[in-house]
Amino acid sequence: MQLFLEQLLNGLATGSIYALVSLGLALVYGIMRILHVAHAAVFTIGAYVGLLFFDLTGSLFLAVLGSMAVCALVGVSIERFVYFPLLKYPPFVPLIASIAILLSVEELCRLIAGPQILTFNAKLPFPEFHMAGVTVTSTITAVYCITAAVLLLLWFITTKTELGLAMRAAAQDIAVADAMGINSHLIVSITFVIGSAIAAVAGILVGIYFNQVYPTMGAIPAYKTLALIVVGGLGSVPGAVVASLLLGMAETLLIGYANIPLPRDALAFIAMIGVLMWRSQGLLGSR
Amino acid sequence: MNRPLLEITGLSKHFGGLRAVDGVSFDIQRGEILGLLGPNGAGKTVCFNLVSGVYKPTAGQISFDGQRTDGLSPHVIAGLGIGRTFQIVKPFAHLTVLENVLAARGIARYRSLPNIWSSWKTPAERREALRLLERVGLADLAERRAGLLPLGNLRRLEIARALAVGRTLLLLDESFSGLRHEEISQLEALIRAIRADGLTVLLIEHNMRVAMGLCDRLIVLDHGRKLTEGRPAEVRANEAVIEAYLGRKGSAHAA
Amino acid sequence: MSGYLITLGTIIAINGIVACGLNVIVGFAGQISLGHAAFFGIGAYTAALLATQAGLSFWAALPLVIAVSALIGLLLGIPSLRVREDFLAITTIGINFIVEAIFNNFEFFGGALGIGGIPRVELFDLKLRGTEFLVLCLFFLVVVMVVCWWLTRCWAGLACFALREEEAAAASVGISPVRFKLLAFVIGTGMAGLGGALYAHFMRFISASDFAFPLSVSLLSMVVVGGIGTLWGPILGAFIIGVLPEVFRPLIDYRILFYTMLLLLMIRFQPGGLLGENSAARRVLAKMLPEGKP
Repeated sequence: MQLFLEQLLNGLATGSIYALVSLGLALVYGIMRILHVAHAAVFTIGAYVGLLFFDLTGSLFLAVLGSMAVCALVGVSIERFVYFPLLKYPPFVPLIASIAILLSVEELCRLIAGPQILTFNAKLPFPEFHMAGVTVTSTITAVYCITAAVLLLLWFITTKTELGLAMRAAAQDIAVADAMGINSHLIVSITFVIGSAIAAVAGILVGIYFNQVYPTMGAIPAYKTLALIVVGGLGSVPGAVVASLLLGMAETLLIGYANIPLPRDALAFIAMIGVLMWRSQGLLGSR
Repeated sequence: MNRPLLEITGLSKHFGGLRAVDGVSFDIQRGEILGLLGPNGAGKTVCFNLVSGVYKPTAGQISFDGQRTDGLSPHVIAGLGIGRTFQIVKPFAHLTVLENVLAARGIARYRSLPNIWSSWKTPAERREALRLLERVGLADLAERRAGLLPLGNLRRLEIARALAVGRTLLLLDESFSGLRHEEISQLEALIRAIRADGLTVLLIEHNMRVAMGLCDRLIVLDHGRKLTEGRPAEVRANEAVIEAYLGRKGSAHAA
Repeated sequence: MSGYLITLGTIIAINGIVACGLNVIVGFAGQISLGHAAFFGIGAYTAALLATQAGLSFWAALPLVIAVSALIGLLLGIPSLRVREDFLAITTIGINFIVEAIFNNFEFFGGALGIGGIPRVELFDLKLRGTEFLVLCLFFLVVVMVVCWWLTRCWAGLACFALREEEAAAASVGISPVRFKLLAFVIGTGMAGLGGALYAHFMRFISASDFAFPLSVSLLSMVVVGGIGTLWGPILGAFIIGVLPEVFRPLIDYRILFYTMLLLLMIRFQPGGLLGENSAARRVLAKMLPEGKP
């Protein structure tokens, strides 16, 4: 029982991290219909920049802020200089560009910071818990709290503010939003800012949680989160979150308990194909 | 022999709560030019899409030449000899005008696996395709890339494609829309010639003058339901029709 | 010719064959496939197993290899068509990951160690190696290109082109989208399988990581850089993508970065590919030639 509870908590934590990463991806897809694989590059940059600022200032708070700022800038630059000019081409063109960006960023990180795994020894200012004989570390508590906070903030922005209304309008039908006087390009850029900032937080969180920062840390999330936003229903942020949590728990429990001979990463895609066969618009997607 | 070519009975198409087409019934007789009229949102294009197989009906039946066709896929219905144009033109943009028509001429072959491997670049095929282009007046643009054509020519290209496919019935969706004066006259003449060749034509049209002048009979839809049907003179005088188009004030409508 | 150049040429030729297959799927029929490496791998593993376990010669196994690759392409293609266009990219990525995982984790495929000891191709009692094997690959490349050329001239190809341009209009002229998309898929994966067989007998040792997602990205890049939907595009692309890392080799540490940055720049500024219409290359050529199109 204790083991099961531990696995469940770990799985929920993993799922929360997936959710943080796939959030940005779902937001971008919802508004631009582009598979922003380079989001994982932003995530990686977030981890490295966060580590750098933390080493320089000793303050995790400053590190998070600085990293969010840098990543927001990177994200918007990608949108303005790469995606926007390629909008009129078939979707795999920006997709290849996105993959090229991810690979380039991996290489840049390797060249600048070295190929070795760096450690991120930060103490997250969150409490430790003991319940039912299981220790919930401060890191795991941090993951839960931060994910919940981000989701809450996002929910607030999208449902209670004018910006959020504009974002939802643009996601529904960008031409109509334009006609209604919404500066849709600005909205798109703001979406990238928000998504990239969240990716920065996710990167730092992952860096601390696994105590590892390395150039290819974005590779697996890149493709797994693609599967997750499909399962959740392309463009549906709640769907992406639900799918992420489910996958996190499924991966941890299946690997911990059952002995499935396939690696964790293929599981995400198997689940994805299974869900698509059953509901071709994803869990919470609309037709 | 007097069986209608197309019989539509109790046809309905609901999109969630929206009843785009609601219990519509009418027939098309062989060799007639039937017009489908109605204000915007009346359900005319949805009807077309139901007949050509793009949508499956929520309820009702469609019979073509005595055979049930509701629920069949668009390419199967095309194979039965029903050709159509699209309200928003859909040319094969990167292919030439000639290749656009040739693609339509392939309809005889696409169904059978052995037949699709023969070449379409034969003089005989080219002749036939050019013949169709001549009918619509596009023969001298045969080698032009279709995506570069202006709207008027694109509409004619759509008709050429539909002619290649439509052995018996032609569905023309607002083919006069956006055309200049001379182009309209030419197209009217073409449609009459098509009918003289033995085809049946169902057309959606907003241009009243064209619709009244060209069609043998008219069906008027409003909010998904059939308002009335009859000869142009009857329909033109029908109060309900005038109201549907112009509201209760009902001033003269110039095409 | 030095051994190094022969090896490079062979890899480029094999990649060219596989890229031509991808071009049929992506360029002719307009379907996205980001998992093409999986079918390359299916061909390679089938050839490897038939050679090492069943003792079949390359020539005897070849029809089977192509058939298996095409058949699995058909089977995986059917569910792929059920999903919306955006989903298709991700579904094909998923296929790549899953197939790679299957090769990596089941003993039947040699697990993580892969399959080794694949014999060379024999022709009339002569073991083909070096230049001879390169010639064999070039021969098959020519065959594949002839098939592609024939496709552009036959009704099947015309149907695929129409489908690529406007699916609704294609259906309205009698083209069954499902049937012709699957046809393109089957042809494309069959060609990939052929490339896989050649690869297996060339490397003589294969493992799952040879057929991972990055290769699918490379293959798609070859098609796009060369010019999607053109006849020579995939070959040109295979050549460029094959030669670039070697050209940048003197840069040692920086070569991958240069390569990915170049890919990004090419895609960003020449999305139609080098042989695509309106590409800078075509315009320069048009100015150089007195008249007419290249």
